[in-house]
Amino acid sequence: MYRGKEGQWAFLLHRLSGVAIALYLIIHVLDISLVMYGPDGPFNTFLAFYHQWPFRIGLVLVMAGVVYHALNGLRIIIMDFSEWGIRYQRAMWYGVLVLTTAIGIPVLVKVIPEIFGGV
Amino acid sequence: MAVKPKTLSEARAVYSTNSELAWWVFMRISGLFLIFLVFGHMFFNNIQINVADVDYAYVAKRFSKSWVKIYDSFLLGFAMLHGINGLRYSLEDYIQRPGRRFWAKVVLFTVAAVIFVLGVMTLWAFSFEEMGDAVRGLQHSN
Repeated sequence: MYRGKEGQWAFLLHRLSGVAIALYLIIHVLDISLVMYGPDGPFNTFLAFYHQWPFRIGLVLVMAGVVYHALNGLRIIIMDFSEWGIRYQRAMWYGVLVLTTAIGIPVLVKVIPEIFGGV
Repeated sequence: MAVKPKTLSEARAVYSTNSELAWWVFMRISGLFLIFLVFGHMFFNNIQINVADVDYAYVAKRFSKSWVKIYDSFLLGFAMLHGINGLRYSLEDYIQRPGRRFWAKVVLFTVAAVIFVLGVMTLWAFSFEEMGDAVRGLQHSN
């Protein structure tokens, strides 16, 4: 496998997170569409299944993927439409990683106790 | 796609059809909208509440609000177009044989169409008068 510099990793993470989010979106629309069966339908059973901790960890990972994909997408837009974007693409990628972590930490502080504390 | 265009003028030069250029522009514009729509969606349903509290009553109450129907429709439309086009880029990059690539895209677009229609039905084609006492009770308690 070709191991490039930061730009290559930025691309790989963007693609992986993008594919993961798109597949999540398909499953998410499918499971929410079960509300059409009404209050006595299978919706609550399905959601209770998804509220088990492995799926909730998965949801946290999908949300982290969304934040990375959004911020790196902004980096791509800046690279495409500004004069200076490509010159600073490496610094911006590290900025994306720092911002993703900075947004992620308070989310983890809020969500992890809900998952494991039975709140 | 051997060369990834990095600027608008490069994209114009690389893409042989206007539709590929239009998709290139669309991915950037829809991406900007999606940042706000998706961050808002995650904030409402994961941060403001415990996501494990989501059940039929919560979703029914949400979908009975007009602004949620409109917000979620834009979210569904942009996310499906952006996401399915992104999956199409991936299939075109990794599936080498033209025949397989064609059929993979047929499957992808079929699934996308079914999911999109399901999503629109869930948001709109749904008479809340017929959803039973659960929803009527919720609407009265507002």
